[in-house]
Amino acid sequence: MSIRSYQRRTFLKSAGVCLALPVLESSEAARAASASRSVPQRLVCIGNEFGMYPDAFWPKADGRDYELSPLLKPLQEHRNDFTLFSHLDHGLKGGHFAIHGFLTGVKAADARNLPEGGISLDQKAAEHVGAQTRFPSLAIGSDNGVHGGCQMSWTRTGTRVPPIPGPRELFRQLFLEDGAEARRSATARIQLQESILDAVLGDANSLKRKLNKSDGQKLEEYFSSVRDVERKLELDRQWQQVPKPETDLSEPVNQGLVKDMPAVYDLIALALQTDSTRVATLEIGHSFAVQDLGIKKGYHSLSHHGKVQANIDLLVQIEMYQLQQLARFLDKLKSIREPDSDGTLLDHTMVLHGSGMGNANSHTNSDLPLILAGGGFQHGEQKRYPAEGRSRVPLCNLFVSLLQRFGVETDQFGTSTSTLTGLS
Amino acid sequence: MFARLPLLLLLLFITPVNVRAEDGPLPPFLKQHCVRCHGAAKQNAERRFDVLPRTIDNSNVLAEFQDILDQLNLGEMPPADEKQPTDAERQQVVQWLTSTIDDYHSSHRATGGESILRRLNAREYRNTIRDLLHLNTTMFDPTVAFPRDQTVEHLDNVGDTLVTSGYLLQQYLMAAESVIDKAVFPLLQPEVKTWKFTSNFKQQPEIDQVHGKTNGFRHMTLYDVPGADKPEGAYGPIHAFREGVPFDGIYEIRIRAEALNRNHPYSDAIVGTDKTEPLRLGIVPGDHTVGSLHLPQPMEPLLAEIELADKPAWYTVRVWLDAGYTPRFTFQNGLMDARNLWKKIVQKYADEFPEPKNPGIVEHRFNAIKYGKLPQIHLHEIEITGPLYDSWPKPSQTAVLGDAAATVLESGELTDAQMRAQLQVFASRAYRRPASLDEVDRIMQVVDSQRQSGRTPLEALTDGFKAVLCSPAFLYLEEPTRDGTSATALATRLSYFLWSSMPDERLLELAANGWLSKPDVLDAEVRRMLADEKSDAFIDGFLASWLALRDLGSMPPDRDQFSDYYRFDLKSAMLEETRQFTRHLIDQNLSISNFLDSDFTFVNKALARHYDLPAPADIGFHKVALTDRRRGGLLGQASVLTVTANGIDTSPVVRGVWLLDNVLGTPPSPPPPDVEPLDPDIRGAKTIREQLAKHRTNASCNDCHRKIDPMGFALENFDPIGQWRATYRKKQPIDASGEMPDGTTYNDMQSFRAILVAQHELFCRALTSKLLAYATGRQLEAIDRPHIDQITDQLQEKGNGMADLIRLVIHSPVFHEAPVPN
Repeated sequence: MSIRSYQRRTFLKSAGVCLALPVLESSEAARAASASRSVPQRLVCIGNEFGMYPDAFWPKADGRDYELSPLLKPLQEHRNDFTLFSHLDHGLKGGHFAIHGFLTGVKAADARNLPEGGISLDQKAAEHVGAQTRFPSLAIGSDNGVHGGCQMSWTRTGTRVPPIPGPRELFRQLFLEDGAEARRSATARIQLQESILDAVLGDANSLKRKLNKSDGQKLEEYFSSVRDVERKLELDRQWQQVPKPETDLSEPVNQGLVKDMPAVYDLIALALQTDSTRVATLEIGHSFAVQDLGIKKGYHSLSHHGKVQANIDLLVQIEMYQLQQLARFLDKLKSIREPDSDGTLLDHTMVLHGSGMGNANSHTNSDLPLILAGGGFQHGEQKRYPAEGRSRVPLCNLFVSLLQRFGVETDQFGTSTSTLTGLS
Repeated sequence: MFARLPLLLLLLFITPVNVRAEDGPLPPFLKQHCVRCHGAAKQNAERRFDVLPRTIDNSNVLAEFQDILDQLNLGEMPPADEKQPTDAERQQVVQWLTSTIDDYHSSHRATGGESILRRLNAREYRNTIRDLLHLNTTMFDPTVAFPRDQTVEHLDNVGDTLVTSGYLLQQYLMAAESVIDKAVFPLLQPEVKTWKFTSNFKQQPEIDQVHGKTNGFRHMTLYDVPGADKPEGAYGPIHAFREGVPFDGIYEIRIRAEALNRNHPYSDAIVGTDKTEPLRLGIVPGDHTVGSLHLPQPMEPLLAEIELADKPAWYTVRVWLDAGYTPRFTFQNGLMDARNLWKKIVQKYADEFPEPKNPGIVEHRFNAIKYGKLPQIHLHEIEITGPLYDSWPKPSQTAVLGDAAATVLESGELTDAQMRAQLQVFASRAYRRPASLDEVDRIMQVVDSQRQSGRTPLEALTDGFKAVLCSPAFLYLEEPTRDGTSATALATRLSYFLWSSMPDERLLELAANGWLSKPDVLDAEVRRMLADEKSDAFIDGFLASWLALRDLGSMPPDRDQFSDYYRFDLKSAMLEETRQFTRHLIDQNLSISNFLDSDFTFVNKALARHYDLPAPADIGFHKVALTDRRRGGLLGQASVLTVTANGIDTSPVVRGVWLLDNVLGTPPSPPPPDVEPLDPDIRGAKTIREQLAKHRTNASCNDCHRKIDPMGFALENFDPIGQWRATYRKKQPIDASGEMPDGTTYNDMQSFRAILVAQHELFCRALTSKLLAYATGRQLEAIDRPHIDQITDQLQEKGNGMADLIRLVIHSPVFHEAPVPN
């Protein structure tokens, strides 16, 4: 056993999980997997339905020396771990009907005309991870909400990624083995695909003999694609055999997202730590019932505070709770040492907290309340971008920067015009 | 290196053009008229002529010489404000260039550039699957998860650009599985069932709160059109049937429906529906796993459309539904954004509604629905019966199992010999040529190994079919070879050109016995293929590649400013107009000059309204004569005018570049990297013309913009969705006049069009080049030029018919011949 995997295992044990790795250590695919796992980059996106009350969220000053706004107080300890961006958004309109564009930059109805079908930031990253982790991504949230709710994750086919409803289901996915039938059919598919690849490789070799040089070079793409898929199938096969991590935790009960938030964040941290996934998305939507915070009025109606101070106070109380939980999550990520590196899990995890709603009282989708933490960026300031119509910077530029940091070779995402200037 | 570099630079400066008599007239001409702007000091448009070789020694030089010749012939260079060569000088150089270029072509191979091995693009893959397996692809798209194909010059079928990646191959594997499973299963004909729905018609949270109180969900109620921004009652789903139908097939849908309040008592301007036309009920499929059934979904073909009587009545339609899809009902000519309309109605007609207690969306909606008389459709009873089949085994089962399908499906029995035989037949169709023994052997290995893992013979055979769909022999098109070893390659090339799909049996047969290469047989086949509705794929694919119409909708028009675009589904109508127009030119072999100016076009009601033309009486598209020629030709068509705008405002630069690029085939150079981009200021009082005028005072901008801007100014009377306008939004008047680079002026769109029509030769060459590139799946090169010129000459003689052009392209040596082995 190499020192590296030994460290990883003790690390997992100390985290309350035990991952058995015997099969992985023998094969080439396993080496590939563990090499690429040396210091992976992760992405966690969190969004709510109604944004943040602007007057309590945005600090007055720019740069590093801004005074923390009331809503940012819970993040005091992490002040140098996150960045704020004023005047970033997607230029969308439609209030509740446009918040689902938070991670895509476009409304779903317009997505079908776009080159990548309106894929969301998290799913674009998940495509990049592919079979390197057991779950390309985990999306946690709820199916409902005001006019559909958050709806943050979208594939390139224009399909919404069905959310995992609560900590119980998340726990089951992470730690409970699939049923025998599901495993059998997954194994059968891998076997068939491998057999097909053998046959078509023969076809390609025989075709190649008939081609001239330039066409032969073109066919090389096919050969290397076959090799890529073979590697992927090998990894899929490994995942079938590698047991899921063991845990001392017992299965949680779903109690609604307000109460479940600590558990959900802990499970996300655990999923990243065990490299079960590198991409997680959390929707603070319908399942976040503010009655559980002792508030009698509805979250939606409070977001339409009508500038009534009593309503605003309650709204800020709700949002404060969300940011307290974010702070707790950042604490957690920071407390976990990243094996094979000098840093912490937070240093290798980009956490983007925000909303597709800028100001719920006026139903605007501009000036989105974004907090970007971790991921090894230089943090600690509020960055200001132009507020004027034509020179505004699309939020998708930030997404390009995040994707590049994640390892995706791209210079374009959604409505981007470049990477985000000023972020390093 | 240090020592040599300055010397080299020095040489360039001292001996820019070393004139000798045997070099011909070009070097002195260039030196005198061109090198100042295209030389060592400046390289305008990235061209440099002081170091140009004296003769054509490679295809790059050929391209440069051709470019110089074209510019001189056009009279575009030297610019009008520079000293001009004499006519004799110009003529001498033109003659010399023409003969030098001719010499080069005649001493080089006559095949033109090289084709390159190319794979099916997503469009071709989907059509090929449809024809290979006889599958209904109305709502089945096996390519939905494929990465988008890369395009070059809008072409989506260029071999070089169509890459294959591991990710794509993975998608091929998944697609093969879903395609074959869909073709073969279920093995036995499913029983016909009937589902009835007569109550509990809940639809969506927003309106359910009202319907529960007003009608107890006794009927479904449709308000909005499908294009509404915040739809309320735009898609009527049957929630009790959300899992959809259990099997692919035809389903009979019976509906008791009622059209209410067609003659509503409110202002037409507010409601916006057409009182003269019956309310139209639509049926679209829905998949609850994709998203909410009351909202738009990515896969949404209109399966049926019914004109409703005002009184309740039964209607019956038969529609195809794939397993898992549930029918959803739509109001095709309904309200736009009912959500905003509720308030408008209860406020404007306050007397007819109760005094609001808590004014707000909830109460306005309640009152408008309970007490109002807005047009709406009620569905009282719905019955769904199916699946029904025209034949069993279904066509897709016969496509893979042949005549034995019925027995094989019943018994599940298959001998090895039968399996081999079926694989041989299927693979030969899939590969568009006879499959070799080796190839069949390799598939049999898949079948055998699957049988060993416990699959039944029939299941294992279907696994073999999946392998066929992942083979490079299926995924890559066979190219014609010069020695003519593959007769079937011509059939393949022809069929992917005109059908974007596989050749049919007849084509392959004609190819196999050698008849297809006979000119009269080929002509007859081309006629047959163009008459087949599969050639719609050609019209669609070619228009997307030529006019960039694929991008229509990628910059969605502003919803507030252009709500008609969404209300009347103008995007589909725009595309349909250009398609039908092109189809008409082909069918009637009308002159390609109609693309620039015509006295007819095709419109439906919505488009007629958009164009301010008299509306046709019936649904659908109709040919209309244009007495006012503003809409004549492509430049009057909203598809083109919309795709060249950004959905918010128009830019003469974008439209000008589009015209130069696609219509005239003379793309301007891209802006120099250091240029300050034009930042349209829509708030200020300046018009775009004033802003551009300022831009053109900069000499380096003026070089290109004097060519670009006048092309776009003429179209300024058309707004971002192609509607005619006399003023901009701020009421500034529109000036659609301009001056061409050669000094010709025009006053408006009409006189500009005359200038354009006079450029017939350029237009014809551009269209021919594009068609040839689309037909062969490669970008054209300078070496292809003689073939293009030959086609355009012959076309001229024949009278410029569009169908003739297609035939000339197909008879061209470039179409028949292919890569030279190297």
